Amino acid sequence: MKIHYGTALGAVALVAVHILFRMTQKFSDSLQYQNVIANYHFLPYALMLEVVLVLLSVHGFNGLRVILLELKQGVAYERAINYGSIAAMVALVAYGSRTILMAGMGMS
Amino acid sequence: MAERLSNREGIKGMANPTRYGIERVAYWLQRLSGLGLLAYLIGHIYETSSIVDGRVAWEKMLELTQTPQGHIILTIVIGMCVYHTANGVRVMLGHGGVGVGRPGQPEYPYKAASLNYKQRLCIWVSIALAALAMMYGAAVLFGD
Repeated sequence: MKIHYGTALGAVALVAVHILFRMTQKFSDSLQYQNVIANYHFLPYALMLEVVLVLLSVHGFNGLRVILLELKQGVAYERAINYGSIAAMVALVAYGSRTILMAGMGMS
Repeated sequence: MAERLSNREGIKGMANPTRYGIERVAYWLQRLSGLGLLAYLIGHIYETSSIVDGRVAWEKMLELTQTPQGHIILTIVIGMCVYHTANGVRVMLGHGGVGVGRPGQPEYPYKAASLNYKQRLCIWVSIALAALAMMYGAAVLFGD
């Protein structure tokens, strides 16, 4: 539960910053290509996005794991859910990190 | 064995928000909003990944998401996010023993001290905050 609560509190704070960043200008303007790319080129913000990505992936897939374990029990089932959640977490973090890295390094 | 299995409702039992009052509804909404937010997170990460394919791909993706339907989905996501956060803080505090009352001798009609008016009020406040955030979000998204 400590992981779930810790990631929740961290994510709430950082997602608030992420949303406030969108509100520094008109919402549709903030989504313009050059503005989004500029966000990724700003290193502190890119690092924050990476942290948000990790926190939300861990929180989200741990939550899904808890729901699925509450639904059904059994050694093989629980092992599959535990390892499946970790694999999904890693895959999502890897895919999101790829975007942050490539956009941040101007590889788009 | 047959009796044990007949008591097992499985996913139907989990998906049923009734029978146990507002606390059960709060639990159900927390689970539902959590699943919705996870689906949104995956979609959002996929959506933003189009930026690495250049301006044209990004603008194509925006054409798909910046529509009235997209704004309605985003408004629902805002509501889910605010409810999940506010109710999650309530659950966290309750887990830490805040606002759940003092333990005492069970007395008729055996009302659980932890399911008191403070907890119920917090659930309603969470729902109200989510509704307000949705209204604000919709005003920003559709007013753009």
